[in-house]
Amino acid sequence: MRGRKATSVSRANDGADYGSLRLDRSGQAEAFDAIGDRYDEAFPHKEGQVGAGDWLIKSLDPGSRVLDLGCGTGVPTARQLTDAGLEVVGVDLSRRMVELAREYVPAATFHQLDLADLRPGGPSDLGRFDGVAAFFSLLMLPRAEIPLALRTIHHLLTPGGLFALSMVEAHVDDFAIPFLGNTIRVSGYLLEDLHKILDTAGFEIVKESSYTYAPAVADVPPEEQVFLCCRRRD
Amino acid sequence: MTEHPSPREGPAGIARRGASSSGPGPVVPLGRTPAQQLDRLQYLDVATRRIARGMDLDETLRELRWAAVPAFADAIVIHLHDPLPVGDEKSAAPVVLQLHSIDRAPEARTALLMPHAEYASVAERVEPTLTGRLAKLLLAGRPAFGDAPGIDPAVAELLGPAASAPGTLPPGRRLIIAPLHGRHHVMGTVVLLRRPDRSAFTGDDLLVASQLATHTAIGVQKAVMYGHEASVADTLQRTMLPSSLPEPTGIQLASRYLPASKTAQVGGDWYDAIPLPGNRVALIVGDVMGHSMTSAAIMGQLRTIVQTLAGLDLPPHEVLHHLDEQAQRLGSDHIATCLYAIYDPISHRLLMANAGHPPAVLLRPNGHAEVLRVPPGAPIGVGGVVFESVEMPAPTGTTLVLYTDGLVESRDTDVGTGVEALRTHLQSTPHRHRLPSLERLCDRILVALAPGPRDDDIALLTARFEGFPPDSVGYWHLDPHPLTAGQARRLTRRVLRRWGLDALLDSTELMVSEVVTNAVRYASRPISLRLLRTDVLRCEVTDDSPQVPRMRQAAPGDEGGRGLFLVDRLAQRWGATRLSTGKVVWFEQQIPKGR
Repeated sequence: MRGRKATSVSRANDGADYGSLRLDRSGQAEAFDAIGDRYDEAFPHKEGQVGAGDWLIKSLDPGSRVLDLGCGTGVPTARQLTDAGLEVVGVDLSRRMVELAREYVPAATFHQLDLADLRPGGPSDLGRFDGVAAFFSLLMLPRAEIPLALRTIHHLLTPGGLFALSMVEAHVDDFAIPFLGNTIRVSGYLLEDLHKILDTAGFEIVKESSYTYAPAVADVPPEEQVFLCCRRRD
Repeated sequence: MTEHPSPREGPAGIARRGASSSGPGPVVPLGRTPAQQLDRLQYLDVATRRIARGMDLDETLRELRWAAVPAFADAIVIHLHDPLPVGDEKSAAPVVLQLHSIDRAPEARTALLMPHAEYASVAERVEPTLTGRLAKLLLAGRPAFGDAPGIDPAVAELLGPAASAPGTLPPGRRLIIAPLHGRHHVMGTVVLLRRPDRSAFTGDDLLVASQLATHTAIGVQKAVMYGHEASVADTLQRTMLPSSLPEPTGIQLASRYLPASKTAQVGGDWYDAIPLPGNRVALIVGDVMGHSMTSAAIMGQLRTIVQTLAGLDLPPHEVLHHLDEQAQRLGSDHIATCLYAIYDPISHRLLMANAGHPPAVLLRPNGHAEVLRVPPGAPIGVGGVVFESVEMPAPTGTTLVLYTDGLVESRDTDVGTGVEALRTHLQSTPHRHRLPSLERLCDRILVALAPGPRDDDIALLTARFEGFPPDSVGYWHLDPHPLTAGQARRLTRRVLRRWGLDALLDSTELMVSEVVTNAVRYASRPISLRLLRTDVLRCEVTDDSPQVPRMRQAAPGDEGGRGLFLVDRLAQRWGATRLSTGKVVWFEQQIPKGR
């Protein structure tokens, strides 16, 4: 189980739901700044992610606006969606990842931003989207923040908008793990719990697939990857 | 040997020089003129040096025979104590002499010394009577002439009944019987004979015989001690190597160990294969510098240290780091090389670190062989050196060849050339449709690269990667709390259904629940649950508490303590291993046939 792309950072504690939380992003973006391109080398097989991207492409009208939350290097998702004629906005907490994404997918727009900044009434407003992809990015948040992040995504989507999510199945909260020579903190849910919080956040699950995935590095154990294709219910 | 005169020419040459100065005839007895005395001394000088040069028993006695015949005698009969005494202990067993060898000059023509058939008359095995003349002679340790008073029975005892027949033995002082006496023991006897038409032995010759016997006895004793030490070291070394390799799923293994040709040259080579959690396997090859009992003993200790470190599931560079630290505690001057690799059959990766060892060679399924350029590092025992783990792909069907320098280095070949020869050999190994079996591969490698006598021992470990697909694995981290056991049960059920292993559902759920409950009790960080399906179903539960559970008898009122009894009853195998980060408890069940 491994965290992926760093999203969200908030320095301010304004906003109703985030009010009681102290957001701690220390080390998360720095780890991905240091990892850079090695990330894609360690996780070369992305059939699940590409499959979920295909679902977005197939289900959205051409030219639809899609947000890639925790876009990483932009490969494969931002590139896949851009190539399919969608208007892609990518967001990542890591400066280095955003640099790489701009280089690899020049046709998309990228911002170095924290997901929390996009909350209703938050400091950044990128407008509304027809689709949101969050592949292995929400797992970089502590568990207490994940329902808030789902609510933010709900808010960013147009009614009936699509949401493609991937997580690593686990039951952990802000768990520090070694990751490609760095340490990151990750959280996870077991599948049945993930179903519940998605339902609570106002999403309907359209389809679901899971893979056992063995990263191409010996020191990262295999993980249960879950891909969920969802629709904003109201 | 080439720098020395050929054996037959040594003392015989001296004798001939003596002959040229003192008269005609092929061999002339050594006399008493100053020149003859000088010859005798020169002869003794050469003969004793040759005898002393012998490294083992047979060599020492061969040198004696060649020194004695024909220069000094026309025939020699050697008997040795059987068994030859080792060390200083006094043996209560009676002396038994066994015929070792006979040598004779072609001209020697007494009945006793006739070739072949007549030799049979010389006793093969002699058991001197305790109070007999021979026993006394052996005890006295001094050589005697064949015509010494009362010596006949001793000669008869030693050479057999045939010797007492008239005309069998040469007349007069043409026989010397010389005991081989070591520091504390009788080692054997030497009988020297001259043919009737050669001059008899003189009193000085008896001294020469005494000198030859003394040097031979010392040589025999030395050879016995040396051989004993070598055999102890060889046994020591062999008992310290794995008697058999494990047979983990996802990898095939084969190994060879060849000692150096000279038995006295004991090496410190070792190899090992150690199963790790997650069906990974540690592969190790190492070599302690030097060839002695100490090397073998140090090897045994290093191998044990590596096994302990491997058991902690440390990465290769850390294993070498700690091995280096521990090795320095064993003594300051023990240097060893070691290569440590971990194969992961799920990620199909190889992780490797090196401490000054010759590089591993990888043979790909397409027949391409490649020398793995892992940073060589400094040897173990140097201290304060940083080791580095290098990771590389290990695709299915690839063969890893680990070896010690004995395979690639010799007097005529440097390591670099030898490694390249190994690579070329592997690449040229024909395999039209399938790779050769590892056993055959090992044999071929040894035949091709180590055909003749060796100066050094050789350890060879080959591993063929078979791997297994990711969907044969389930892996989760779970925060420890009261509900974790239930979560683990549900995950187990889901995966076993996916694998069609419904028959194992109940037992597995029960065991997982017990082991997870136990893990959660002590864990402070998330535990991990790992399920692996190969030819067995393996479950591993890892937590961060170092306390390894032991099976204990639960008292009737105890709530816990029964879990491991249950596992012990239900599982085919189970175990608990301490890791550097905590521990892992695992159990295995046979997968029902047809799955």
